[in-house]
Amino acid sequence: MMRIEAIIQPSRFESVKEALHQIGVEGMTVSEVRGHGRQKGHTETYRGREYEVDLLPKIKIEMVLPYNLVDGAVQTILKTARTGKIGDGKIFLSKVDEAIRIRDEERGEGAL
Amino acid sequence: MDQVFETLRATAVGIPSTPFTVLRDFYAEEFARIEREFRASSNGRVATQGRAALLDRVILDLSREFLAPELNDLRKLCLVALGGYGRRELFPHSDVDLMFLWEDASIESRYREGTQAICRALWDLRLRVSPTHRFLSECEKFQPDNPEFNISVLDSRYLEGDRGLFERLRNRALPHMIAGGWSDLLRDLAELTEQRHRKEGDTIFHLEPNLKNSPGGLRDYHVAWWVGLISKMEKAGMWATPEDIWPAKALQDMDKAFEFLAAARCFLHYRQGRHDNALSYELQAAAAARGIGVENGRAIDPAEWMRIYFRHARAVYALCTQLLDETLPAPAKLRGFLGWKSSLLDSGFYVAGTRLSLLEPSGVHEPQRLLDVFRYVAKHGARLSREAEDQIHEALPSIFDSGAALPSLWSNLREILLAPHAAEALRAMHSSGLLVRLFPEFAVIDSLVVRDYYHHYTVDAHSFMAIENIHRLREAEKNWERPFANLFSELEEPELLFLSLLFHDVGKGMPCGDHVAGSLDAIENVFARLDLKPEQADTVRFLIRDHLAMSANLLRRDIFDLETIRVFAEEVGTPERLKLLCLFTYADIRAVNPEALTPWKAQSLWQLYVLTANYLSRSLDEERFHAESGDLQFVDRIFPLVSSTASREELASFLEGLPRRYLFAHSAEEIASHFPMARKLKENNVQLRIDHRRQIYALTLLATDRPFLFAGVSGTLASWGMDIWKAEAFANAAGVVVDTFHFTDPHKTLELNPSELLRLQKSIEDVLTGAISRETLLRGRAGAQSKPQPKVSVPTQIRFDDSSSPHSTLMEIVTQDRPGLLFHLSSTLANFGCNIEVALIDTEGQRALDTFYLTFGGAKLRPDAQEQLRVRLLAEG
Repeated sequence: MMRIEAIIQPSRFESVKEALHQIGVEGMTVSEVRGHGRQKGHTETYRGREYEVDLLPKIKIEMVLPYNLVDGAVQTILKTARTGKIGDGKIFLSKVDEAIRIRDEERGEGAL
Repeated sequence: MDQVFETLRATAVGIPSTPFTVLRDFYAEEFARIEREFRASSNGRVATQGRAALLDRVILDLSREFLAPELNDLRKLCLVALGGYGRRELFPHSDVDLMFLWEDASIESRYREGTQAICRALWDLRLRVSPTHRFLSECEKFQPDNPEFNISVLDSRYLEGDRGLFERLRNRALPHMIAGGWSDLLRDLAELTEQRHRKEGDTIFHLEPNLKNSPGGLRDYHVAWWVGLISKMEKAGMWATPEDIWPAKALQDMDKAFEFLAAARCFLHYRQGRHDNALSYELQAAAAARGIGVENGRAIDPAEWMRIYFRHARAVYALCTQLLDETLPAPAKLRGFLGWKSSLLDSGFYVAGTRLSLLEPSGVHEPQRLLDVFRYVAKHGARLSREAEDQIHEALPSIFDSGAALPSLWSNLREILLAPHAAEALRAMHSSGLLVRLFPEFAVIDSLVVRDYYHHYTVDAHSFMAIENIHRLREAEKNWERPFANLFSELEEPELLFLSLLFHDVGKGMPCGDHVAGSLDAIENVFARLDLKPEQADTVRFLIRDHLAMSANLLRRDIFDLETIRVFAEEVGTPERLKLLCLFTYADIRAVNPEALTPWKAQSLWQLYVLTANYLSRSLDEERFHAESGDLQFVDRIFPLVSSTASREELASFLEGLPRRYLFAHSAEEIASHFPMARKLKENNVQLRIDHRRQIYALTLLATDRPFLFAGVSGTLASWGMDIWKAEAFANAAGVVVDTFHFTDPHKTLELNPSELLRLQKSIEDVLTGAISRETLLRGRAGAQSKPQPKVSVPTQIRFDDSSSPHSTLMEIVTQDRPGLLFHLSSTLANFGCNIEVALIDTEGQRALDTFYLTFGGAKLRPDAQEQLRVRLLAEG
């Protein structure tokens, strides 16, 4: 099992979600986050007041998938989240040792 | 059953025996029989009484077994049913509250084992029994740490044992407890109710309500009962029946509500097989298909079934909150108004506690008096008494069917919408039926459920809540709320925002695929009853039509992409509309569910607002009307409104080169009125008009461009003591200047001396034509004015921007507002040799926020010239 964590542009989220559903990825956890990588923020002035826009809004999608779905999911995110501009986001992959469904304590890929 | 108790007896004395299968089977069979009967009848009252009787039977036999074979012989101990069980309203999986009442400790050791055996037997039957042991003397005292017990004992019912002991509980101990602690009891009841309501979002209109705990649910029904019970005991020293404490109409409504809620809750318990009171979408559909609580048990649409639920919940909630309000002291904010009693009496109503009642029901037959009631509610937050609501409801047909002329609806509605408790007043208007009488368009969203797993409230409740969200900005506490609160304080016509919020979703109740189109159709009918100005109606149309645009940009577009901002700014058109739309979006999202507007979303919304606002003020030079670029739709819109002697080409020529902002900021009617002024420039090269609306004067000036023009007007207004808080200066390609100045008259010169308006106009004309020196005029007047002491100090900031416009340098200046400021700024600019291409003047409290598009010799200002200008402006203060 692999854990996929993708940080993407908010504007691409609906498309990414839809595309993941189409390849059979049904479960995901979504968070509203802020941050920056190389795409640094800037300062906006409005009516004489300065507003720091140093942390930009992003969407974080997390999912744990069986190995056979991982490549497809990664390719789908890459294809759907890309705009070609700085700030498109990142994908992080990590191995997961175990998954347990709380309701019935089923373990392994069957719990996903 | 004898066989059952043989087994039980064996267990009680610790002898191994077979499980309680026989008793369990008996209970299960009876439980199933009651359920079968419920399935056939859907009668919740009968089902709950049936289960209470079943428990009575089980406890009777257990008591005979473990306490005394002849219970009449039992002395100094009795078994008492409490809470719902005491009321014989025992829902299929509800807890069983049981009290062992002891006279004293003398027999406790003798029966303690028996009472424990009874409880064990009940638990082994998988019943959720909450047993309590109390001495009679304990029940005489109010128990401050246990409000739940104080309340549950009010519904005590004799089960078994010493009847005399129970009668002493009912006739002496409890009356004594209530006499000493009635006010604490009521206070606890009110606090518990308030906490529960708050947890449930303070509205009955949950799309997935909790049948027990939501406002208007069964717990509120019981709160209304307990309040009456306590009050009756405190006042008359006797136990009450519902007939004693509830008004006849309320009694009937409450009875029907209970029948419905009890049937629905039984249905939920049986279907879920557990104590679950959450009425999910799935269960609503199932209950509607079974016709639960519906006359003749016929299947109906789930949305219609929920409307029935909301009607009952509304009746329960109204009585519960009214009885609590009547018994509790009024909050300080309303106590103050009791001193107004005489003036309120003149209006035909009075306030008792927090509730407003009518002095004479016939008073509200006069439409203005009727609206006065709701204006008062909106202003002070008092709630209508149930009687007042009923009296208004009954008066409506005679008022509206008589064809009597209604007073100015917009001025009354406007006052209601702007008042801090507008949402409460609108809810009361809706609840009494007045809102739908005034605006039948609203009827289609009455208690309307839209099932999308995102909205938590019905469409009508969502609309009221959105209005409330804006008013609550007055007390914004969170950091991310404050920018929106500031924005609210800057709105020129907040009433248009509220009007739009009220009707933005009425299309959801109409048989059309696009709810926005439905709402736009409906608002046209609303306009027919309100005397809004054309430009006000346009703004409301814009807000309803585009109310999802900002959310859509947040979710589907990259808001940091300049193209996204440009397209969105073009759609919005003006800063004022942007402010309105931003606040609309804030209020609309926040009214979807308590978690919908996260700080993340709010901050993103604010960023989109700031980026767009800045684009609007920094892009005027580029965004101009050009007939050749396909901007003729503006001509099409305005031309029908202008004089028949003018041609389309002449109009297009007047508009050519004007910033598009001018075209968005002014209605077609206003632009059509500017055009003839431009045509008259051939006869007189200064055309001037001053309009007066409420406290604001609007000066429109058309003239051929010349140095010191802007400074001349601002200087003359300052010399007359006028306070300019907003101004715009534009010019077309032919050099015709169209300037507007919005100013107030703090010394009431014009209000007290109407003829002075003509003299002011003449002064401006004289200054612009050179007949009077503007410096002379300003010296003569300015000296007489005392300089007001600023409440806050605003440091001056000057920012130059060469990148936003291809032709001009933008200068943004933020400084302390003061009389004559605009004259000093514009004079300094003119003396420096700058030409003001465009000016946007705004004021926020004591901060002047001015943007000038400047050229010097027809080009942008060089960096060294910018620095020299900055130094000069700062030096001249």
